[in-house]
Amino acid sequence: MAAPGHLRIRDVSKTYASPGRPLVHVLSHVRIDVEPGAFVTIVGPSGCGKSTLLRLIIGLDDDYRGEIELNDRRIVGTALSRGIVFQDHRLLPWLTLEQNIGLSLENSGWSRAEKAQAVRQHIALVGLSGFEKAYPHELSGGMAQRAAIARGLANRPEILLLDEPLGALDALTRVHLQAELQRIWEVEGITMILVTHDVEEAIFLSNRVVVMAANPGRIVETVDIDLAFPRERADERFVALKRRILAAMGEDSGRRITRAA
Amino acid sequence: MPFAGRLLPPASDPIETSRGAGTGSIMANSSDTLEGAAVAAGTTDLPEPPGWWLRGPNLTGFILPFAILVLWELAARNKWIDPVFLPEPAKVVTAFWTMLTKQRLAFDFLASISIVGQAFLYGSVAAIVLGIAAGLSRRVEQFFGPTFDTVRHIPGIAWLPLIVLWLGIGAPAKILVIAKSVFFPVFLNTLQGIRNVEKNYIELADVFTLTRWQLVRKVILPAAMPSIMVSLRYAAGLAWALVVVAEGLSGLEGLGFLIFRAQGLLLTDQLLVCMVIIGLVGFAIDRSMFLAQKRVLKWKQGYEG
Repeated sequence: MAAPGHLRIRDVSKTYASPGRPLVHVLSHVRIDVEPGAFVTIVGPSGCGKSTLLRLIIGLDDDYRGEIELNDRRIVGTALSRGIVFQDHRLLPWLTLEQNIGLSLENSGWSRAEKAQAVRQHIALVGLSGFEKAYPHELSGGMAQRAAIARGLANRPEILLLDEPLGALDALTRVHLQAELQRIWEVEGITMILVTHDVEEAIFLSNRVVVMAANPGRIVETVDIDLAFPRERADERFVALKRRILAAMGEDSGRRITRAA
Repeated sequence: MPFAGRLLPPASDPIETSRGAGTGSIMANSSDTLEGAAVAAGTTDLPEPPGWWLRGPNLTGFILPFAILVLWELAARNKWIDPVFLPEPAKVVTAFWTMLTKQRLAFDFLASISIVGQAFLYGSVAAIVLGIAAGLSRRVEQFFGPTFDTVRHIPGIAWLPLIVLWLGIGAPAKILVIAKSVFFPVFLNTLQGIRNVEKNYIELADVFTLTRWQLVRKVILPAAMPSIMVSLRYAAGLAWALVVVAEGLSGLEGLGFLIFRAQGLLLTDQLLVCMVIIGLVGFAIDRSMFLAQKRVLKWKQGYEG
């Protein structure tokens, strides 16, 4: 198992210029330090740049100022040490479940047997044993998202990025998969960064919740969550934290409305 | 099978009903036990359940050809049309047998098949290779674009006279001309199929650090496959239709040659034999391309062609 990664985001800013429009500050001086093995969640309204930040970390976009380092090395492009799960499961429809996971191992440098074992283990990890030969259209939304999580983990990255992975699922499946994700994080012991709209999901899963705001995309508050796992949503402290984070998000949107008026 | 459910009384087990809709044998059992005596009485001596004729879309398709055959027989027997122009079906069958045993029908048939097979193979392979190259590189597309768009608009049949001057009246000229006609639909669909690949998938390949070759093989080609398969099916039918024209215009063998020769000699029965063979082979080509398509695209949800 790969050692969990230490991610440092140092003073990252990104602007987006389109002709004839004012400059958009997608991210402004974002600073996050994610310790090895931590679970950090970024919450915030649409347009606060949280998904953009993940794209920078995974290496799909390198047009930014500042530094992003994984284990003290500046990230350059995509690498197998960084995995991602997208909101749309993004399984390739022409590959079976095991082929889809296998595709992520194509350049792992492992032997055939090692690859097969990693595929099998991660299918079991997300509870999809028996569906190895199923095509994506034969899986439910929840199963497809589990498969995407297995694929993100299969090559044992140092860090796994989760871009609203449960956002498209129904409420029941989502709660169920949150518990699964919590278990998987504990089993795998790797660093995870989750982006979500769902404050409860954030508190349920993370060591730390980073609250972002839009225009410009920035961090407005960082909340440490030191409740013991597994967490109880009805717990007093859980509810208090939820109120605090919602306030941090709401305060900003209130300010935006007055500013716009 | 929309009728299957209706044959069962409403009280029947819904699971049984839905399963019955899928397979004939289960439907037969439930019909036998659940249907009233009135229905059973008329069909007791049939091994198949009542309503067997409703079951087959495979049989529905035979109604029209059968009707045409009957009409043909009537028209010929009652001399509505001069037998010189429309011989009886039976005479056509006899002509088929004569052509097969006493003449070289099999040889001509194989000549046509061989031309179409080679033309389809060369044309589609070239089209897929160049289509991929043009799909992946704007520069390649720009290089070929104007030339291809001009050549494409000169019909194969207009090429034939020149090609025959160069290559003679034998098979190579026809293969070349038909391959050209196969090439363009496949080329354009391959190109378009590649251009339509979802950007998300390319991004995913980037995340997995796939090389360009891996990206093409594992992501781009499969994603473009539906579009390629449709064009291959279309091109196969087109090639078969064209071989008849090409053989009619030049050469001394093949089904197309036989047709035009039969017209000249007023051998209408032989002419009809060739027409029926051409139609049936075309049908077979289309069905097998459809099956191939279904097989290659079995991952596609609800794919019906």
